[in-house]
Amino acid sequence: MKRRISLLLVLIMILSMLSGCASGTAGGEAPAEVVKIGWIGSLTGDQAVWGTCEFNTVQMLVDEANDNGGWLGKQIELVGYDTKGDSLEAVNAVKRLVGQDKVVAIVGPNASGQAIAISQVLEESGVPDIATVATNPKVTIDENGNTKPYNFRVCFIDPYQGAVAAGYAFEELGFTKAAILYDVADEYSQGLTQFFEETFVELGGEIVAKEAFKFGDVDFRPQLSKIKETNPEIIFMPYFFKEVALSSTQARELGMDAVLMGGDGWTSEQLLEMAGSSVEGSYVVNHLDFEDPDVQEFKNAYTEKYGSAVELNGYLAYDAFKLLEEAVLKAGEADSKLIAKALESAEVQGITGYIRINKDTHNPEGKEAAILKIVDNKYKFQMKYSVDVE
Amino acid sequence: MTTFLQQLINGISIGSVYALMAVGYSLVYSIMNFSNFAHGGVIMIGAYLGFFALAIWQLPFPIAFFIAAVGSGILAIVLERIAYNPLRKRNAPFLYFIISAMGASIFLENIVIATIGPNFKTYPQVFQKTPYEIGALAIGRLDVVMFIISAVSLLILLIIIEKTKVGMAIKATAYNFKASSLMGVNTDYIIFIVFGLGGALAGIAGILFGMKYTVYPQIGVITIKAFIAAVFGGLGSLSGAVIGAISLGIIETMTAGYISSQLRDLIAFALLIFILVVRPMGIMGKMNEDKA
Repeated sequence: MKRRISLLLVLIMILSMLSGCASGTAGGEAPAEVVKIGWIGSLTGDQAVWGTCEFNTVQMLVDEANDNGGWLGKQIELVGYDTKGDSLEAVNAVKRLVGQDKVVAIVGPNASGQAIAISQVLEESGVPDIATVATNPKVTIDENGNTKPYNFRVCFIDPYQGAVAAGYAFEELGFTKAAILYDVADEYSQGLTQFFEETFVELGGEIVAKEAFKFGDVDFRPQLSKIKETNPEIIFMPYFFKEVALSSTQARELGMDAVLMGGDGWTSEQLLEMAGSSVEGSYVVNHLDFEDPDVQEFKNAYTEKYGSAVELNGYLAYDAFKLLEEAVLKAGEADSKLIAKALESAEVQGITGYIRINKDTHNPEGKEAAILKIVDNKYKFQMKYSVDVE
Repeated sequence: MTTFLQQLINGISIGSVYALMAVGYSLVYSIMNFSNFAHGGVIMIGAYLGFFALAIWQLPFPIAFFIAAVGSGILAIVLERIAYNPLRKRNAPFLYFIISAMGASIFLENIVIATIGPNFKTYPQVFQKTPYEIGALAIGRLDVVMFIISAVSLLILLIIIEKTKVGMAIKATAYNFKASSLMGVNTDYIIFIVFGLGGALAGIAGILFGMKYTVYPQIGVITIKAFIAAVFGGLGSLSGAVIGAISLGIIETMTAGYISSQLRDLIAFALLIFILVVRPMGIMGKMNEDKA
């Protein structure tokens, strides 16, 4: 009896391991010659909404490309792994992708922390990675200022985003007194805070309060009460939508009516649902205008296939895939090192703008930001805005 | 001055949520002498029950409240039967109870991720967002409601413990498990009651937490602070748990408001460690056996 139970347990373990690997691979019989690409991102945890959307997008594009004959006459196979929003898990996922699945390139992750962590494995294996919404400068540049050979991205970077927010708040909205609430445990939040502050002060504005919280906090009233005392005209909130929803609601509860502003961490349909009237009239620095006619086709196709709205990450995952496609076709061979070489000078018309990878930074050059305003519980496009950052 | 009062109100409001959670820990600890880390999981389920009742089934708040409290109470009892009772029957060391509790907590979190999904859920608006304004002070309607519910729930618990026969038996069992059992107290029944009460409090904490903030599978993590508050107040002492929780809320708020929000947790918890060094049994705790 005991042995039978242990046998059963072993069987269950093996099955669960198999199902763990199988999740995400394109099912069905794969032809002998395939181009394997990987995807990593959060399918569980705080950012699961975004990760799921990214994976769905890439899967959709893979299917589409396969219907049109694939790349270089070969079918494409997608292998996706969950990073659970954790840097260590991301490293393990990449190790599995390059070691076990032998992918030629990887799309994702969306978060900077994970994208920075995987650089070393990428370098050891020579497999290029295109991050989607990882906006921290260190994703493509190492501590010593050297460009990482296998890290690329399709989004603009934090200094740019923080500077755009500050520039828009000061020059277009005419605010001179700003407060900042930021996540002290998050690099994204710190990066945006730093460059918002620098730009805003440089332009002649004043930062009247700068308060911090820690990831995982749900109550921001102590910090907000302190900010309220200083009477800012605008509060910059550079962090993710769950905390934005909570902190904006609590700010309104404390009777604060300052205008709120945030970066691309805000742009989720979930924010509108969670925060409701609290974020009405707020400004968001985003990667694209959701109502742009050029993005409608993809948006509708996605909603039709998956029955839910596209998150911001979907658009950047789309561009990451298109950039990769361009590089693979240019390389003329499904070889990871050649693809990396091709990526260094790849150009493609993406849906978030024209993407021209800069050889020295591996960032898309001169991408404009889109300023959105939340009106009637919808993201409403205001203008394209750009600033000069050295 | 207004800012100070506002911060005090913030602190008490944060502390009253900690209090509901901390009392559940303390109650179980007082009988079983181990820290029930599955408590966070029960709170999370309570929050989801409240969410389903209010948002999906569209029930009025009192009924949703009842469902969350009773549902979580039953869950806590079932957990005790499955995860702790077999260990207790075998006189397993306390460490095993803690491991079992952690396992239960991870299980609950993952079953919610697997069935309901990992995303946040938002409660419908039950109470208006506009605060009561007294001069420059703003007091959220929900905060007032939460404070009253917390206070009433804790008061009812206190009456049960202090004034009823079952309460007397709970106190006796907490004092000495073996002796009470020898004196004819049905300790199985007492454990049943204690988990039921602790679970109901967890459910109440869950639905209030969900209304105030949001619901997600990792809510249980916040109970680490409630646990610390319980230890700080003196594990096993109910009034200690309440005092510890309110103090923690106020200490946190005041540190963020007057010293530094960047260093809030560092300073607040250094202070707690200092207090525990000076008074290892916590504020209200009695010094007896080792604490798990």
